[in-house]
Order: sequence, then structure tokens, then C-alpha cells
Amino acid sequence: MPSFALNVNNKQYTVEAEADMPLLWVLRDLLDLTGTKYGCGVASCGACTVIMDGSAVLSCQRTVGSCVNKKIITIEGLSEDGSHPVQKAWQKAGVPQCGYCQPGQMMAAAAMLEKNKKPSEETIDLVMSNNLCRCGTYHRIKEAIHIAIEEINK
Amino acid sequence: MQKVKINRRYFIKLSSFSSGSLIIGFMLPGHKALALQDDECQFFQPNAYLKIDKKGKVTVYVAKQESGQGVDTALPMIVAEELDVDFKDVKSELAPYGTMKPGEHDTGGSQSILEMYNTLRKAGATAKAMLIAAAAKVWNIAPTSCAADMGEVVNTITNQRIKYGELVCKAATLPVPKEVNLKSPRDFKLIGKSEKRSNLKDILTGKAKYGIDIKVDGMLYAVSERCPVLNGKLISVDDAAAKRVPGVIKVVSYTGTEAPMHVRAGVAVIATNIWAAIKARKLLNITWDEGKQNGESTEELFKTFAVKANERPQFEVYTKGDVKKFIGKNEIMATYSEPFLAHATLEPVNFVAAVNGEKCELWGGLQLPDWAVNTIAKECGLKKENIKLNLTLMGGAFGRRLHFDFAIEAVKIAQQMDKPVKLLWERTDDIRYGIYRPANYHKLTANTDEKGNLIAWQHHVLGTPIAYMTDNPESKNAPEMDGADRGFCYDVSNIYTGYTGVNMNINRGWLRSVDICVNTFPVESFIDEIAAKIKKDPLEFRLSMLENRPDFKTGDGPGAHVQSPKRIAGVLKMVADKIGWKEPRKPNHFIGLATHSFIFANSYAAHAIEIELLGPKKFRITRVVGAIDCGVVINPDGLKNQMEGGLAFALTQALKGEITITNNRVVQDGFFSYELLNYNEMPPVEIYAVESNEEPGGVGEVGLPTVAPALCNALAAAGYRPYSLPIRNEGFSWV
Repeated sequence: MPSFALNVNNKQYTVEAEADMPLLWVLRDLLDLTGTKYGCGVASCGACTVIMDGSAVLSCQRTVGSCVNKKIITIEGLSEDGSHPVQKAWQKAGVPQCGYCQPGQMMAAAAMLEKNKKPSEETIDLVMSNNLCRCGTYHRIKEAIHIAIEEINK
Repeated sequence: MQKVKINRRYFIKLSSFSSGSLIIGFMLPGHKALALQDDECQFFQPNAYLKIDKKGKVTVYVAKQESGQGVDTALPMIVAEELDVDFKDVKSELAPYGTMKPGEHDTGGSQSILEMYNTLRKAGATAKAMLIAAAAKVWNIAPTSCAADMGEVVNTITNQRIKYGELVCKAATLPVPKEVNLKSPRDFKLIGKSEKRSNLKDILTGKAKYGIDIKVDGMLYAVSERCPVLNGKLISVDDAAAKRVPGVIKVVSYTGTEAPMHVRAGVAVIATNIWAAIKARKLLNITWDEGKQNGESTEELFKTFAVKANERPQFEVYTKGDVKKFIGKNEIMATYSEPFLAHATLEPVNFVAAVNGEKCELWGGLQLPDWAVNTIAKECGLKKENIKLNLTLMGGAFGRRLHFDFAIEAVKIAQQMDKPVKLLWERTDDIRYGIYRPANYHKLTANTDEKGNLIAWQHHVLGTPIAYMTDNPESKNAPEMDGADRGFCYDVSNIYTGYTGVNMNINRGWLRSVDICVNTFPVESFIDEIAAKIKKDPLEFRLSMLENRPDFKTGDGPGAHVQSPKRIAGVLKMVADKIGWKEPRKPNHFIGLATHSFIFANSYAAHAIEIELLGPKKFRITRVVGAIDCGVVINPDGLKNQMEGGLAFALTQALKGEITITNNRVVQDGFFSYELLNYNEMPPVEIYAVESNEEPGGVGEVGLPTVAPALCNALAAAGYRPYSLPIRNEGFSWV
């Protein structure tokens, strides 16, 4: 089986996997980084969102073979202790219900704010509409994003 | 050391052996609590629900399964309130399966708070009484001269204080009191104050472990191809290509099951990793015997409903007075319909099973674990005492995990393997092979007198009953009429309600808010329609039939619920007031109202929804106001989150949620075709709770039923009344 060198959360890993295995399953099942969630496998829900070279990507749509030499950040690497402004904002707004989609939501929000510290409401709508939440916490996600925007622009 | 190394599990095991019930022996008043000598003592555990260690840290064991509804926070708050401890010192833990009374792990029907409130208050108060008794012995004073305050016992004579942690070993040697005093709700310090979810930090850092995250030694991964129709059989499978996929270990088949779970016959691919299994599954070449019942469709079903709606109902459910006298001349008539729905939990169902001969160990999320274990034992030829179940956090449930078809499948697969197997349902499986909220149809007929009073109400509900699936097609439990039976809240002298079941070879089950949601949409739409026809204000029309009606029972037995029309009116008035019902509307803005009682959870909720009409059947939701009366509110922030989320869940159903069926196959296969509400579609929402000292009711399902009718009533006010959900099918669009 081929092996691939991956940089995940600033650590180097070597994984043995078929080249077409989606990054999602490499993270979850080979590296035990289960914070990245499976929701659909077909780019319809956003639960598997990670940050790759600074951009939000759906890890179910990236083969492990295409991730070599990329810098990958998962929810476990957003911060070690929940201190990233997005995590703190999510905490303050008390966003989660079941919490399953929230790592993907936070990674999408973090990547957006990394690129644009003052996104317009239209941009937020556009970006966050890629991430589904069945519990319906959208109202609080919106609140949390605005808390985070305020925090990073202080 | 050996004799005192009694841990909790051991103690409970002993109890269960001696009493036949898991913790009865443990709980009987008069028995000593877990008694250990000082030097060996580590903690004090007066009952199965809580433990206090020598540092004063409290662990509350939560019997109810967490799936986002916040029981892992609200239930410990109840214990901590009576125990008088700082909530920061309280840790919440899911009670291991088997450590609670039979049925106590069952989680559903918005019942967790109702069922556990008094039990947990007593558990906390008992521990507090024993800690006070221990301190009283230290000071050699009467317990009545002691008080509890934030994790300490206070000597009210000298103002000396001893921390709970320093008292646990002494308390553990004392008898458990039979009677304890509970606080008056007026003295609550913690209950009624918002607390953040107990596992919030784990969720936010990706550490929270759901069933899908379980990994056990040697575990293999499976996905399964199932018979396209229910009750089919496998004829043959060509798995040669599938087996050539690197990582594939084995391809196994299993037979379907009948009621209650209706597992489909399946062929599972087991591999060293999930990706190999997913790839190989696509290469299976399977021939199924689909049987005869495979030509049914939802299109035909709704035609059948429409025909049968005009016939006599199969079941007469509730009658009062004589409706016939008032029907036949100038009556108002309408029909409403709602489709099948899928739960679509964001964590698709999954389960881990390890079977070693007669022994079986399971991991996963189940809302009704007792029923699941009993049924798994029966279906899979195991003894239930040989099944060890490890419950996990659930990434959403909404009733999907009341069903355990996936758990039976996992065991059937694991029985053919010598290693543990994790069965994953892909999203396509989740949508195609789900357990659907029944499709339904309603014929409503009513009449008013010359003064504009509603004098006759007739409601014929037609549906595909759940009971036909969980019991059998002859089930007499078929009428699914909550919200439209004897509990019908409006004061009308002549009522006739009936139900007709129409079977179909597709699995059905309970989905959040169940038949109350199904029936509140037509009832609250039709009430509005009647008000419009007789030119009455929809708010005043409702209040005139609620405010003067005394509380009444909805059944004859001791378990009958009490319906409170005044509380139904109370939440309605609250939303009307908050949204400014009596104020002039902005141009092109319209408001709709709906109210109801979520009868079996003793809670009441209403919604007022304001829309802006942007064009014919095109609208924007500009404001949503929700109000709930659930008695004592345990965790206001948790309640608010549930009501906000309930709005989103119900809007999905009102706007676009629909499962359709052709040839007994579900047409939708994922989120592209079974769409959920999106972030940008969430309207502004305000939630209000009625202040009350009534016993607490449930919350989780209460925020759904009035959303669709309030929205539809707003659209009707704008000139376009929807008669079927999702309203998209009637040409509505929104921004």
C-alpha cells in the first residue's frame, strides 16, 4: 500500500492508504482525529470541513494523494484548549445542541475570518450556507460569528 | 484491601443479583449508603444518581441519553439545586447502561425532565440530609441547627463551616433517610438560571465522542447494501469484484426481520477501513426477490387518502354532541396533507458490535436501550444477560434512535466475524432506508351559528400508522390523533373525530413531535380559516373558545393528561403581545398565529410569524416570536436553544421537507434531494417563557407544532393559504 506524508495540525504523519482514500477517513480512522465528522461524503453538508493551506475545504472531497505538502488544520488543531476566537465565541453564545456539525461550522467560520476580518452579512450567508445543522443552531452561529468578528477587530 | 475495593459497578451488580432489579436494593431507604472506613473511603454515594468525593467534587450520573437536548446539563442542575453545591463542582456523566432502574435510560417524548425531576431532587436532598447529619455528629448538635450552603454545612449556632468533601466518609456510614424535605421553588438558586452545556468544551475542541467515533481493538468497518424494498429476500450475490478491493475482508449476507424494526435483508462488505468497504459495496452484483408489494407510490397513497377521507373513519376517536345536525348546510370544509419525513440526524446511524460465541458487546446511541437489548437478543439468538451495551453520545436523534434496526444489523454482521465491526450507514442509506414520519391527510368540516360561534367540528385524520409497523397491520393502536382527539382544546359543543389507517410497504416511526405536529398544522390552519370566513379576529376567535374553558382530562384512566385551555391561551396572548398583533401592520407585512398544548409533556407553546409578501406566493419571514409555558424552567438557555432549534426543524418541514416514494422505493437519497433548512434561511427569532411554579414539563418537541400553521396563517392573511406541506409544492418561494 502506498504511503503519504501529511502535515496535520503542525505535526508530520506518514500514513499508509490507497491514494484515493478521502482525507476525511484518513483523519478519522488512521490518525484518530475524530473531531472531523462524516455527514454525507458528497459535499452536501460541511460536517467534514477542515482548513487546508488557509482555505476551508471539505475533507470528504480531497483524496489523501492530493494532500501531500499541504498544511492541514482540523478542529483539534484550531487551538489546543478552545482559545481560538471562534471557539470562544461559540462558547459565549452557547451554540451547540448535539454538537456534531459544530467542528465543521467552526472551521468554516475560522477560515472565512482568516481571509476577511470584517465579512459582510452576504459573505457570511454565502460561506455558512455550506454547513448544515439539523438541530437548527443557525441563530446562535450567527450570533457567535459576530462575537468573533468583534473580538478579532478589537 | 480486597474487601473494601468496592466500586460502584460491583455494588450495583450485587444489588441486581439479589433483587432482580438493578438498583432497588441500592435505593431502599433505611439501607446504609456505600459504607467504607475512613482510611479506605474515597467517595460518598447515597444513591445511583450521584457521588461526592473527598474534595467535594460531585458526579451526577445521568440516565437519559444526550442527543443535543441538554439533559446532560439540566438533570445535574436539579441534583445540584437540592444538594446546595456550586454547579462548577458538578460533573455530568452518562450513567453506564444497567446502573439505573429498568426504563430509566429510555429517552424520548420530551419526558426526561418530567420523569426525573422529583427523583433527582430527592437524590440531591437525600445526600444533603446525610451530609448535614454527619456534620451534626461532628459538632454534637441537632441536624436542625445545621444548614447547607454552596458545598458546605454551616453550624447555625457558631457559624462554623465544614466542606462536604470532609464529611463524605462520615456521611457514607449513616443510614439513608426515608423522607427528606425538598425546597420550595421560590428558594431555587440554580434552577431557573442559565448554565452552559456540560460537555460544551469537548464539543468545541473536537473531543466529544459520538457513536461514530468509537474505535475498539481489532475493529473492522462495514457498510451494507440493502434490499430496495421492505420485506424482500436475497436471491444471490456476486461479490467477486468487491472482494478484489484491497482491504476487503469478507462479504456477508443477513436476513431481514419483521416487527417491530423491519430490518431489510442485506449484504454487508467488511473491510479494514471504511473507504474500502464503501468502494467495494458499489461493485456488489445482487439479485433480490422483492416480493409482490413493490408497486406502491406516495402519489397513489394520497389519492387513496382523498377517496377514503369521504368514507366513514376506520376508528371513531372522540365524539361529543351531534355534529350531523350542523353539517350539510353552509358548512366550511378543507383538506390538508403532509408528507413522509426522514429524521436525517447529522450523525448518520451507526453501531459497533463484537460477538464472541454467546457473548456480545455493543457500542452506540440508543434512545430505548432496554427494548433494543431485548429485541436484539430475540432476533439474534442471544441471551440478554450476555449482552453488554455501552451507550454513547448521539449526534442528533429526533426519534431516529428510538428505533434500533441498525443495531440489529450490526449484531447480525458481527455474528459472522471474529472481530468487532463498526457498521456505518452512509447518508444515502439514511435517507433511502429510513424510518419515516407517516404521511397524512385531513378532512375538516365545521360550522358556526349566526353569532359566529363555532358549533360543530369534524376531523377525519388519515395516515400510514406507525403501529402497523411496530405492532402489526391489524393493530388497534393505529389512531395517531394526539392534538386532535379528546384533548382538542377549543370549546365546541359538537365534535366528531376519527382516524383511518392506510398501510404501505414502507417503514414508519416516531419523529420529533410525532402526531401532535401532524395534527396541529390542520387544526390551527382550519381554525384560522373559519375565523377568516366569519370575519373574526383570529386571536379573539381562539381566545373566546379557550379562556373560559376549565381544565379537563383527556382520558378516563389514572394516567390521563390534564388539558389547560387557559395555559394554551396564555402562550397565545404572549406571542400576540410581543409581536404587536394589535398594532398596525407595515405595508405588505402579515402575521399568522398558532397555539397548542404538547399534551403528553405538560407544556404549551405558541408562535407568531410575520412575513413580508414580495410577490405572488413569494415571501420573506421577517420575525418569529415563540412562547412556551413548561412550568418551572430548569435551564433557560437550554430551553431557548431547543425552541430556536425547534423552529429550524419545523421550518424545514413547512418549507421543503418531503420524502416521496415510487415502487416502494424512496426517491430522495441525500441532502441534495432531501433538503434541510440552510443558515441563510433562518429567520430572526425571539423566545419567551411564561414564569410559572407549575411542575416542569418537557421542552424538546414543544417548539415545532405551531410553526407551520403560524407561517401558513400569515400566508393566508396575505391571500395565499397553503393546504399541504411542504409549501414549496404549492408554488411558494422565499428569500
